[in-house]
Amino acid sequence: MAAENQSASNGAAALEAFDPTLDHFARLGLDRGWTIDRDALERGYLERSRRYHPDRHVGADSSTRRAAVEHSSALNQGYRTLRDPVARAEYLVKLGGVDLDSSDPQTGAPHPEQAMLIEMIERREQLDDLLRAGADEDALSELRDQVEDELDAVFDQAIAALTHNDIRAAAAALVQRRYLQRFIGEIDGALEQS
Amino acid sequence: MAEGIDIAGGGLFQIAEPDTGQPKQRRKVGRAIGIDLGTTHSLVAIAPNGAAPRVLVDEHGEALLASVVSYAGDEISVGREARAVAVEHPEQVLSSVKRFMGRGPKDITFDHPYRLATDDQVVRIDVAEPGAAPRYVSPVEVSARILEVLEQRAFDEIGEIGGAVITVPAYFDDAQRQATKDAGRIAGLEVYRLLAEPTAAALAYGLDRQGRGDHGEGLFAIYDLGGGTFDVSILRLRDGVFQVLATGGDSALGGDDFDRALAAMLLERGGITAPSPTQLQEVMQAARAAKEALSDAESTTVELAHGGLEPFTLTRAQFEELIASLVKRTIRASKATLKDAGVDKRELDGVVLVGGSTRVPLVREQVAKAFGREPLADIDPDKVVAYGAAIQADILSGSAREGVTLLDVVPLSLGLETMGGIVEKIIPRNATIPISARQVFTNYSEKQTGMSVHVVQGERELVDDCRSLARFDLHGIPQLPPSMARVEITFELDADALLTVTARELMTGVKQSIEVKPTYGLSSEEVDGLVMDSLDHAREDFAARNLAEARVELGRVVLAVRTALDEVGEIGELLQPQEREAILASIAEAEQVMVDASLSDPVNAARERLEQLSGPFARRRMERALRSGMSGKTLAEIEAALAEDEQLDARRGAHSAEVIE
Repeated sequence: MAAENQSASNGAAALEAFDPTLDHFARLGLDRGWTIDRDALERGYLERSRRYHPDRHVGADSSTRRAAVEHSSALNQGYRTLRDPVARAEYLVKLGGVDLDSSDPQTGAPHPEQAMLIEMIERREQLDDLLRAGADEDALSELRDQVEDELDAVFDQAIAALTHNDIRAAAAALVQRRYLQRFIGEIDGALEQS
Repeated sequence: MAEGIDIAGGGLFQIAEPDTGQPKQRRKVGRAIGIDLGTTHSLVAIAPNGAAPRVLVDEHGEALLASVVSYAGDEISVGREARAVAVEHPEQVLSSVKRFMGRGPKDITFDHPYRLATDDQVVRIDVAEPGAAPRYVSPVEVSARILEVLEQRAFDEIGEIGGAVITVPAYFDDAQRQATKDAGRIAGLEVYRLLAEPTAAALAYGLDRQGRGDHGEGLFAIYDLGGGTFDVSILRLRDGVFQVLATGGDSALGGDDFDRALAAMLLERGGITAPSPTQLQEVMQAARAAKEALSDAESTTVELAHGGLEPFTLTRAQFEELIASLVKRTIRASKATLKDAGVDKRELDGVVLVGGSTRVPLVREQVAKAFGREPLADIDPDKVVAYGAAIQADILSGSAREGVTLLDVVPLSLGLETMGGIVEKIIPRNATIPISARQVFTNYSEKQTGMSVHVVQGERELVDDCRSLARFDLHGIPQLPPSMARVEITFELDADALLTVTARELMTGVKQSIEVKPTYGLSSEEVDGLVMDSLDHAREDFAARNLAEARVELGRVVLAVRTALDEVGEIGELLQPQEREAILASIAEAEQVMVDASLSDPVNAARERLEQLSGPFARRRMERALRSGMSGKTLAEIEAALAEDEQLDARRGAHSAEVIE
């Protein structure tokens, strides 16, 4: 009897309305910046998940249930972004006003420099040559190592720019990093085939 | 509202307008059940209001219900009785029907003794007597029959059922999940959630363990090899939150395949190239029995009476050779899932074995090798999934169960078709749900005024290799130069893994939204029809239950009156002879009704007549009994005194509760 009369919202307090303007850092209780406290991220995420997860509010009214889904979705998205170093860097650039996933001339990803594009074309030719020559595994691995070193260096540049709050430079480096990442993916594909 | 659209590639999917303001029914706290709907066995468990989970048993004390349904003869039977007649009626006794769930005929690439309808998008099995006119049943209906038996078992234990959590392999796609949900609906259950089997197992294990350090942290791999499916999940437990980090597997690989491999070898040995259905059922049962025997023994004897195979000795080594490549496939998937989770095997706190097929020694050995540690199997691997389902069911009923929040993931990526039939992933696999993600697309020419949105599920790059979930069109895109019109596509996946896709043109705000409900060929009308059928049955079942209860009640009254008559036999002033005769006649009548009645009403009427007729006698007896202790008071006075006491008690009760608070 008592159980049937009690609120079915698992005893959790009513949820505050979802605030879509919060950034991922604020939402998870962290200071905005490249360096984050991993443990604080984990704790912040789990603590909030316990509170907001829709399963904890199955018996609540529809606005509370809606809020639970919104809070939880944003938390999951935020956690996913912040725990991944590359996603975190790209997100900081986005907060700085440059969206790498957009082609908008003002706020979208900056166009890569001519020199970098030429270099990428040369690299791709190198890969094609290797593939035509029978895709020697050692040669492919060597190329992969080279590109990976460069990718690490470019990412370091991006982090350095971010810590100096130079969003443009960080965005440029991250765009270059994406090109290199895609290229590594192609080499991996070739390695799998061989 | 809902329109069915045909999609190239086989599946029929439905697009429904998202139902917004529909209020959810209030849930009944502590009245939910957890069901493990397995390929070979099914179970039901409860864990009401934070209690430890327990599996419910049938009248023979059996927890495991064989997932076998027999349509032979006039009655449908489920479980052991069905399995017992499988060899006699190979085409009418259906087992491992889970392998057909949510599948089209082209997906059925394995051997089975059944007659399938060939002209349909959905698998339908003819269960008529051989030679008779076909009688088709869908795997969904067959599963519903199994669920009904478990539901009845739970009803007998706890009475009214609020809702259920049914477990599915983590790797089930949306069509397989929807089929399972529909089976629940047909069985008359409100399905609160489908829960991944390995996650359920982890819930059951995690609750038993405290974990390490200040946060009670633990990292577990769950290796779940069932009859027809293989799943592997990596979970982290910390601060009372169960976080699924990654899940993987193979929804068409299980212990059944061990049986099949062995059966194929036995048939070959018996020189049978085209087995009859009877031979196929027999050899499958012999293979299963041999597999089970070889879990403990080094060798076993196998023979086929119908298959003309003389008894011979099968060794464990021979069996292991047959299944080695199958086991290897599971190990490969396990390693890939560890990688997806970003976890090194050395970081694991435990490897949990789930599913009857993990009893096979080669499986244990290979798992121990791959994960670098001895696996845990201290909770019965047959029951652990049902335990977890019961725990999650309790949470979802609204129970204030402490310390468990489950963060589950989407097992397969969700994406969109883009130019050239390439898939653009919007929500990657292993993303924690609920989650929403958006992507902006632009127009390719100024003549483009519409956009076709095709939602797909799967890991492959090409649309044709993925499962198509839904298609819809967005119209009214303004004519703008290439790349200037922007359409934002949003995928929203809620905690039930239900997907809503919205397309919105950003300049004009034109918007189109759908809730993606994959079906597998059974239209929603058909499912509704089946639900109605089951409601009819439910009415019958309900009537039968009422009758049984009425009989018990009448029996109780008859017994009480008879006892009273025997007692007062010698005390003449309490009961006049005519009254005694009348009461005896009423008892005789009641006993006759009890035998004849097929409905509860006449039974209840007979009870009321008997109560009325024997009422004055009962009052006299009571008065007399009381008078001996409370002489001088009338019955009315005594009753008043009793009532006052009761009221006082009630008030005292309320008051003392306040004090305790």
